[in-house]
Amino acid sequence: MTNAPLTPEPTTSGRRLRLRGLLDKGFTLLAGGAVLAIALALLVVLAPMLWRGASAVVFPGTVEFRRMQLSQFNRGDRVGVAVELGEVAEARKPVYALLDRFKRGIATDDLKEDARRLYREFGKQLDGRDTAAADRAELRSLAKRLRDDFTAALETTDKAAAQAALGRVLQNAEDARLKGTVAEGFFAMARDYGRIVETVDLGHRAEYAKALAEVQESIRGLFGPPPNAERPPLVMDQYGATRWDAAEKHLDRLLTAETWVAGGPGETLQRVRTPREQQFAGTDLAPLFPLVREHVTKMLQPRWAFYWQYFIDDSLSGHYFGGVGPEILGTLLITVLAILFAFPLGVIAAAYLVECASDSRTVQLIRTCINTLAGVPSIVFGLFGLAFFVVFLLPLFGLPQGSSALAGGLTLGLLVLPIIIRASEEAIRSVPQTYKEAALALGAGRLRCFLTVTLPAALPGILTGAILSVSRAAGETAPILFTAAVAMGSSSWPPWSALAKPTQTLAYSSYHLAVGDRLASLVPHNQYGMVMTLILLVLVLNIAAIVVRSRMARRLRGQ
Amino acid sequence: MAETLDEPSRIPAPAEAALRAPKPTLFAPEGAPSPAADAIIRSCGFSLFYGQKAGVKNITMEIYPRRVTAIIGPSGCGKSTFLRSINRMNDLIPGVRTEGRLEVNGTDVYDPRINLPNLRQQVGMVFQKPNPFPKSVYDNVAYGRRFQGARSRGELDEVVEKCLRAAALWEEVKDTLHKSALALSGGQQQRLCIARALATQPKVLLMDEPCSALDPIATGRIEELIATLKSDYTIVIVTHNMQQAARVSDRTAFFCLGELVEYGLTSTIFTKPAKKQTEDYVTGRFG
Repeated sequence: MTNAPLTPEPTTSGRRLRLRGLLDKGFTLLAGGAVLAIALALLVVLAPMLWRGASAVVFPGTVEFRRMQLSQFNRGDRVGVAVELGEVAEARKPVYALLDRFKRGIATDDLKEDARRLYREFGKQLDGRDTAAADRAELRSLAKRLRDDFTAALETTDKAAAQAALGRVLQNAEDARLKGTVAEGFFAMARDYGRIVETVDLGHRAEYAKALAEVQESIRGLFGPPPNAERPPLVMDQYGATRWDAAEKHLDRLLTAETWVAGGPGETLQRVRTPREQQFAGTDLAPLFPLVREHVTKMLQPRWAFYWQYFIDDSLSGHYFGGVGPEILGTLLITVLAILFAFPLGVIAAAYLVECASDSRTVQLIRTCINTLAGVPSIVFGLFGLAFFVVFLLPLFGLPQGSSALAGGLTLGLLVLPIIIRASEEAIRSVPQTYKEAALALGAGRLRCFLTVTLPAALPGILTGAILSVSRAAGETAPILFTAAVAMGSSSWPPWSALAKPTQTLAYSSYHLAVGDRLASLVPHNQYGMVMTLILLVLVLNIAAIVVRSRMARRLRGQ
Repeated sequence: MAETLDEPSRIPAPAEAALRAPKPTLFAPEGAPSPAADAIIRSCGFSLFYGQKAGVKNITMEIYPRRVTAIIGPSGCGKSTFLRSINRMNDLIPGVRTEGRLEVNGTDVYDPRINLPNLRQQVGMVFQKPNPFPKSVYDNVAYGRRFQGARSRGELDEVVEKCLRAAALWEEVKDTLHKSALALSGGQQQRLCIARALATQPKVLLMDEPCSALDPIATGRIEELIATLKSDYTIVIVTHNMQQAARVSDRTAFFCLGELVEYGLTSTIFTKPAKKQTEDYVTGRFG
């Protein structure tokens, strides 16, 4: 009986041991599984972000990209790009020739305008000539007839009628009185149009016109504005597809028509993809598609580009081209402002709470308030910042009433203040009492004791709070929505010159790009790139802070 | 209380007179003025309360310069409390109240007008656990001196070397002065703490069980150090180790339950204690 607890039955002991071993193993397995799940979640969330974001920096860039870099950022091999441009212009020439030719038969407005212009010019020519008034009137009415016949040929959708009208125009071709005048243009145009009428089914001209517009749009997307065209005012319209992935999208739109047809009553619309070759079968345009398909690489010359300047370039056309330089600077600026504001304040508050304040009801209330502050939604901070800093406080100091980096930094500082206070409080509290005793016993006052002994010993812990705050501040959107953020703009250097101005930040631009307009679908790489940059920025800041902290801690431990 | 104020050396004086004969060499030479006259620390009916509870009660004793005074007694008897009262380290504990008088160099340390940092520089302290700052060896020693106004590199270098030599640590750390003090061994750390306390040029050195966290070899070195420091400093040491008290001290005070039971020459306390309680304690029958 007395021996029982000391020497239990061997079988019971064995079973218990096995159970204990099993429990231990189960616990280890559970913990390992949890760690693995976290790692996996991180991988699932971050890996695609980073992978796709990387495509903003490393991607196959076309000749259009190199042209854009050269003309917008003055970067690249001027001669090499010029040679390339010559090559691609040569390769694209047949495309534009085919387009122009086909366009004449479909988009007849230009031809009509040409006919009217010819008539007016002919009239002027007649006035300048030394001919009898009667002749002049006759010639004028002839020209009018030519114009009207030609216009009638353009307007009809009936092939025979068109050919008859063209015939009426052309029977005057041998008229000696028209020789050497601008009126000869009518005959050239009529012959041209006659050939088009042979191939094009005029009855379907409206459909062709619609499809042609799509084709032209795709070609413009691929190659940029056609040669000899006016330079478009928007930078994003001045270049074709700068990236191969974008080029492939345009190419797909060029080569296949996509229509939605109703399958039947109550059914959803069905997407039908028709090759353009089939759509334009038998017309002059049909050869265009195999031509582009086979020679598109020659027309765009894609090559791998490493666009590291993505991290320093201003954006063009609202993030259509260019990089995220101003966003990085702006994010750093308001983060640094927030930390500059919150760090000293937080540490002093924590020092007060630990070192000076007794454990009274008031102090408990203050502590509760700080904890509550940490849980307040960030948009509330944003609205507070708007009402307090933007509208009230900063104008008192002569700043214009409007969002500014300073207001945003202060708002973010308030947001991270509780984090810093709590971390600092813990860190200061955990400094061994013996350090303080030693300093006091050496005759140090309380302030000196805090500054020379407690604070340095608590600094690694305080820095942990600061690291958390940096990540938080850099990634917040809501507090700066009304206080600091702006979507467009260029970077200001040095950064502090932008204190009184609104600033771009990575978080806000990601949001703006996503909700702002159709741009997001056009530049997905830029969205991912921006998010990747934000992640990397926070990562770099964290790593730097962790290195500093661990060095400090190592020095404190005496290694 | 008024009585003790009028006659500050009431308790120690007779004990000393009685014990002078057996070991006269330990004390001031024959014919010198009575040691009581130049006592450096003088406690007259001193009591300290933590709220309602008394930490030490009515302590009246005198501690003489350039002597090692050991305070022994069972745990919780108030010996550390008394030691920490001398440089007012008990101020850190909320709700502390004192009565009576405690003088260092003729100044009442509980006078509200006292310059506390100055007092603590005069009365250095070494704690139970070695507690060097997480700074370099050099900065540890220079810490107190820096805010005494020593700024120049040369002066600090001199002070650091002198104090480390005085603490018998110089030879061991002279090549690693700028490495962290936490890299030293426990015994070295404690000697560093002694050097650090010496740097503010104190008159008195309070040691609160300085060897309780150390191994016998390190303890031996600290004891040797105490013996050499005795010639320049007044040392008050609290210890649980009675052999240590017997080895290092000139005089010993026995505390029990917050009261001073007996105070006198060490040899007397350990061989012919006047009180039964003391005898029981030093012979190990109690405590």
